[in-house]
Amino acid sequence: MSRKLIALLLSVLMIAAMAVPVAMAEAQPTVSLTVWNEPNEDPAMNMYLQAEKATGVKVNVTVIPETEYSSKLNQMVASKSDADIMIVWECDLKNFVEANGILKLDDYLAKSSIDQKDFIDAVANLSSGLGATYGLPWCAATEILYYNQDMFDAAGIAYPTNDWTYADFQAAAQKLTQKNADGTTKVYGCTLPNLQTWWAGVGAAGDQVYDPSNGQLVIGDGATKFVTDCAQMVKDGVMPQPSSDTADLFSSGMAAMSWQGSWQIGTYGGNLPFNWDIAVLPKDARQYNTLHTGFYTISSTCKNPDAAWKVIEYLMGPDGQAINSKSSGNPSALKAIAAKGDWKVAAATSIENWDAITKSLECGVFGYTCLPAGVTGNAVNLFQSATLGQIAPKDAVSQAMQYAAETIGY
Amino acid sequence: MAKSSPQTAAQRRRRNNLVAYGFMSPWFIGFLCFSAFPIVYMLTMSLTNRKLTGLSKFLGFKNYVNMAASPTFLNSLKVTLYFTLVMMIVTAIWALFMAMLLNRKQRLNGIFQFFYFVPAVIPTVALAFAFRMIMGADAGVFNYLLTILSGKSVNINWLYDVNTVYFAVFFVTLFTYNTGQMMMIFRSGLNDVPTELYEACEIDGASALRKFRSVTLPILSPVILFNMVMGSISALNGSFALLYPLTEGGPNGATNVLSLLIYKEAFLNYKVGYGCALSVVLFLIAAVFASVLFALSKRYVYYEI
Repeated sequence: MSRKLIALLLSVLMIAAMAVPVAMAEAQPTVSLTVWNEPNEDPAMNMYLQAEKATGVKVNVTVIPETEYSSKLNQMVASKSDADIMIVWECDLKNFVEANGILKLDDYLAKSSIDQKDFIDAVANLSSGLGATYGLPWCAATEILYYNQDMFDAAGIAYPTNDWTYADFQAAAQKLTQKNADGTTKVYGCTLPNLQTWWAGVGAAGDQVYDPSNGQLVIGDGATKFVTDCAQMVKDGVMPQPSSDTADLFSSGMAAMSWQGSWQIGTYGGNLPFNWDIAVLPKDARQYNTLHTGFYTISSTCKNPDAAWKVIEYLMGPDGQAINSKSSGNPSALKAIAAKGDWKVAAATSIENWDAITKSLECGVFGYTCLPAGVTGNAVNLFQSATLGQIAPKDAVSQAMQYAAETIGY
Repeated sequence: MAKSSPQTAAQRRRRNNLVAYGFMSPWFIGFLCFSAFPIVYMLTMSLTNRKLTGLSKFLGFKNYVNMAASPTFLNSLKVTLYFTLVMMIVTAIWALFMAMLLNRKQRLNGIFQFFYFVPAVIPTVALAFAFRMIMGADAGVFNYLLTILSGKSVNINWLYDVNTVYFAVFFVTLFTYNTGQMMMIFRSGLNDVPTELYEACEIDGASALRKFRSVTLPILSPVILFNMVMGSISALNGSFALLYPLTEGGPNGATNVLSLLIYKEAFLNYKVGYGCALSVVLFLIAAVFASVLFALSKRYVYYEI
């Protein structure tokens, strides 16, 4: 009898032991969050961990590699996979709205302290085309000019300012180029534009790049001019040819200037073996650069949208945005929070011209990032072929437009 | 002994057939689920404008009409046919050459075989990324070695110059798994060539080239056919894993084969319906290649000595 009693008591204890964690889990709501960056390893700089502590909602972060991020999210929407918070890229936002893949946030925003009027203009313009607010921008990254101060000093050239013109940039690039005895380039005046900054040059030369009214790629004479200029600079050895070399020529001291995203500041930090600073990209026909962000959205398959909103509200609040700015070096899209300057990377002690970021944000637009990656990638391949003389710049631009017309609006 | 009634024999036959079908059913179910259904679904999707988000509208044959008018597709078709033909021939010749080297009776043959085969077991994507760096214009190993050997500064942009990209790509294909596999199959085929035939040739005073042309090639012809068919399928389907990391279809579309275009259209441009239509075309090209090879085999392949 006593053995049976002991067995019964042990069984009850075992069942209770299994039930407690289940009950605790049910008491604590859990949401998943998809992103393409690994969370910061420092717990104090891990905004998702801090969101958990602040909201009591457990956040399971799923990292999807950047190269596959957009297509994976599209497939999740198509298959109505379980998802809660998705950080959605600009090019996908409209598609997910059309596919009913994400929820409207207006009701939540009406009761929230997030001031939508404080968003930078570009964000407000992007959202207005959708008829409602479906996503909130997690930051506002921009594109800037990086320059090697030591090389400028050696060449006796004044540092770039935020009012530099495109002609100033071209002249400086020529003077900063150093050649070997056999005529090959030892140090380039500037790196070749990358996947992002080709569009900064095209837009600065006067082209619209992206037409939000019909979602089309719009390039023409401006792109032809910029591609022609780059082709000439490659021919003169001022810029390197496009190649499969993966080295960062600027950080390795083989290029005096570079046009890159503002997020590179966090990567460079205090690690470069020379003095460097930043400036606004040079002004050509106009001042132009592309803004980069991701939008916090709630999936339509989310089982607990209220918990998901709690987490998003924290991440968009002063604390969440401050942590994001400090860990990524990207300013907040909310002007009042950005003005606090948390995005100034402490390790980048060389930088004095932090105004370059705020001024770049003022003239930044959501341009090529709203277009399908296949269209912009194809265009950049054509531009690169033009710099190698394989195709005339005008033909490269024309073919890029033709491919875009075949693709967009499918 | 009593004879079995016809009804019992028929029942037994039916039962035997059912047992046989039962044993075949796992394969058949797998074929239906993982081959037949996806192919039929792909055909139906090719008639729609299905996007990656799942939105879909019936278009009829509009995808095919647009494809025929697309300069990008027409270029890709031309590149695919050229790439497949040349890759098939280049890899087969190289694999046969390596197999013949290994077939010679020499010391340390096993070690040679190991080293010839090692590159083949490296994943194609890793191989492509490695060669992408090796073939860099400014910092690549190729140019560095050529600079040392020639004494002049060499800055060939192997993967971005239309004059050198094909040489670079076909060079890399020599190290892929498909080539290594061909080499092993050729080696196995060479072992089956009767040595008496070579002895007879030597008695008649035939040269090495004559022996190769009149004895080795004819006897090896079924193996050559098999390798060419597999090589063409590998070139058509497997070229994506090599070309996407190596050239991304450039320069200027020179290596933009159909398998790469399918990926770009479906996953970068979100045009899944159009991607399915391109896949149908790729399937037809593979079928045509195999048909042509089998038609040629009637004339050039010897199954009996």
